[in-house]
Amino acid sequence: MREVHGQASVETTTLVGTEPVPVEVQVDVAPGLPAFSIVGLGDTAVLEARERVRSALRTGGFRFPNARVVVNLAPGPLRKHGTGFDLPIALGVLGATAQIPRDVWTGCRAVGELSLDAAVRPVPGMLAHALGARRDHLPLLGPLASAHLADGLPGLTFRGISSLGMLLAEEHSMPVPATVPPRVTLPELGDVGGLKTARRALEIAAAGGLNLLLIGPPGSGKTMLARRLGSILPPLEGEERIETALVHSVAGLSEAPALNGQRPFRAPHHSASLAGLVGGGSPPRPGEVSLAHNGVLFLDEFPEFAPSALQSLRQPMEDGYVTLVRAEGRLRFPARFTLVAAANPCPCGYLGDPVKDCRCTDTTIDRYRNRIGGPLMDRIDMAIGVERLDPSALVHAPCGESSAAVRERVCAAREHMREADRPNVATLSGGALLSACRLTPRTRQTLTDVGRQNHLSGRGITRLMRVSRTIADLEGSSRVTNDHVMEALAFRREDLR
Amino acid sequence: MNNNGRWQLARGEEGYPYELEDLPDPPALLYGFGDPALLGGGLAIIGSRKATPYGRACARRFAAWAATHGVSVVSGAAIGCDLESHEAALEHDGPTIAVLPCGADVDYPLRAAGTLARIRRHGAVVSETPWGSDPKRWSFVRRNRLIAALSVAVLVVEAGLPSGTFTTADHALAIGREVYAVPGSIFAPECRGSNRLIRQGAMPITDVAELAQALGQEACAEILPEVSNRLISALVASPMRPDDIARAFDLDIVETIRTLGLFESQRLVTRYQDGRYGALPR
Repeated sequence: MREVHGQASVETTTLVGTEPVPVEVQVDVAPGLPAFSIVGLGDTAVLEARERVRSALRTGGFRFPNARVVVNLAPGPLRKHGTGFDLPIALGVLGATAQIPRDVWTGCRAVGELSLDAAVRPVPGMLAHALGARRDHLPLLGPLASAHLADGLPGLTFRGISSLGMLLAEEHSMPVPATVPPRVTLPELGDVGGLKTARRALEIAAAGGLNLLLIGPPGSGKTMLARRLGSILPPLEGEERIETALVHSVAGLSEAPALNGQRPFRAPHHSASLAGLVGGGSPPRPGEVSLAHNGVLFLDEFPEFAPSALQSLRQPMEDGYVTLVRAEGRLRFPARFTLVAAANPCPCGYLGDPVKDCRCTDTTIDRYRNRIGGPLMDRIDMAIGVERLDPSALVHAPCGESSAAVRERVCAAREHMREADRPNVATLSGGALLSACRLTPRTRQTLTDVGRQNHLSGRGITRLMRVSRTIADLEGSSRVTNDHVMEALAFRREDLR
Repeated sequence: MNNNGRWQLARGEEGYPYELEDLPDPPALLYGFGDPALLGGGLAIIGSRKATPYGRACARRFAAWAATHGVSVVSGAAIGCDLESHEAALEHDGPTIAVLPCGADVDYPLRAAGTLARIRRHGAVVSETPWGSDPKRWSFVRRNRLIAALSVAVLVVEAGLPSGTFTTADHALAIGREVYAVPGSIFAPECRGSNRLIRQGAMPITDVAELAQALGQEACAEILPEVSNRLISALVASPMRPDDIARAFDLDIVETIRTLGLFESQRLVTRYQDGRYGALPR
């Protein structure tokens, strides 16, 4: 059989952070000693495409040319990674050897991994590639398993194939059975008996998106409470869904929960590394703070985290994103989250316990607390002491309100904020916060008195006003009144240990 | 006397407080700052380091009374009740004496450095350990016998179990000094030690008039404001968390939190460091 020689070029994208960057896959099939090489700064996964493509072409009913095959990934200086190049390379080889008609690949993007049996599989970040195709007004040729992404992205033409063999089929896209991912049932707040103060604090934190610190001895239910915060948050909306799903997709996690509106809840262990927390590695992957984007980041045993890891939380908490600077350049992952931190009152955990004695000295307690550091502490709006529940209280306490009931109030409060055309209270400060509170002269005086009496700093007052404003929103009140300030006072974190 | 107001007195030397001779083992050398003439015949006010607002308020009240009645306040400058009583005495321009477990020129605890500096100027800081020595585990107990000897009576304002104040009380009894204790809630672990002292025979002190009488001073009647609110009365008996209060009074939690906030801003109650609320003694 005479060998067909020629060239073909297929469009694809590679990810820089969450950003899809167009890459042209140029394939040259030329006479010469049989060889298959890939140039253009691909990582190991890219180079291994040679073996996958060779086998997949054969099993898919095509033949791999007995010629000199050179693949160039342009632009050359850009580092490329991942297995998404398998499909465009295969298309390029098939096109260059005229095994498939030109219109199969021209004018569209192709992303997908090949298995040896010619199946086309999704790659991490499929959603990012899909967004890139939509941005550049190109149809996307990809794995059939990712076809559901098109549902959430109006304006995107997606052609899903399950194997290379389908390239020759008349119809390129098969109707996809709508996949309804199982709705994850979140832990229910109604299961928590007692702990009413803590439940109220959760409600306020959820409504205002405020950062919360839970302090209590071991076994007091801090973790149990924090896990239930997700169940009272309003569902993700519009752009938020895409933003969150995008980060999850790039990290190789399922994007389905976020696309369904479920807010992420991330609870990294306190041994988490800096890179694990804020992102990093090669290629850079989003860290826990980004995976918690638009959701909750729960840090149990807060002071046990490495100080460097804790301090790295400051930038995302301030700016809402993480900037990673690498030799190849800088990239940015979104990271706007509500922080829920839990800490023991002291290293042994029993300070203030009614029964058990605390064996820590003042110095060790101070050292334990100082690990968190002032600047980070400043970004925590509320704190509460969680008691170790008396067994009798647990038995007698009727089950609390259900998550659904609390979530309704939280949603109403957020609706109230939206009607008043105010940005998220967590981001307000200074004059904007003051005018949002619409204080009466009397409340203004109360606030001043309370601040002076409790030696609150300027930031302390700001936090008090944020919490007060949120409580007012929960009540549907346009003004912050004395009642709201008095309640907010209970959640101040000053002097609490 | 040395420069910077520092002095050291050998046993038998003039100015060496004769009250120390009551001890079975008086220090051979006493190091100090300030006025050695203040030493002896004071009122020791001591209590636990992990003091509650109740303990602090008691220390403050009795120290203030002593300061305004010319009785020097003797204590150990430890964080908590000790420091509170020194500070109250200083605020009322009364004499106060800090007995340290380390060199008299060492700022221990570090957090008390500012207060110690003021005591060195306006009162006296003494120690039996040489200049510059660090505190040792045993030196605290040794120090306590000096606190007892330099006082006519030892007042324990708040002590848990176990407590270092017991050694001071033991020393005091051994050399014929009085031991007084301020009673606390039977539910508060922070008060178990002081309550036990009362059971063992220490005189309970419930107001400044009683203290004055016990010390042989002119008694002055003190009128405590009547507490009418039942919530505050409950908090006087024992500090509670908002959840407990809501349960005990069958109140809505939001209402409870707001009421506590209001009382707090009116200085009727205070929030403890562990999140409980307690009544503020007035």
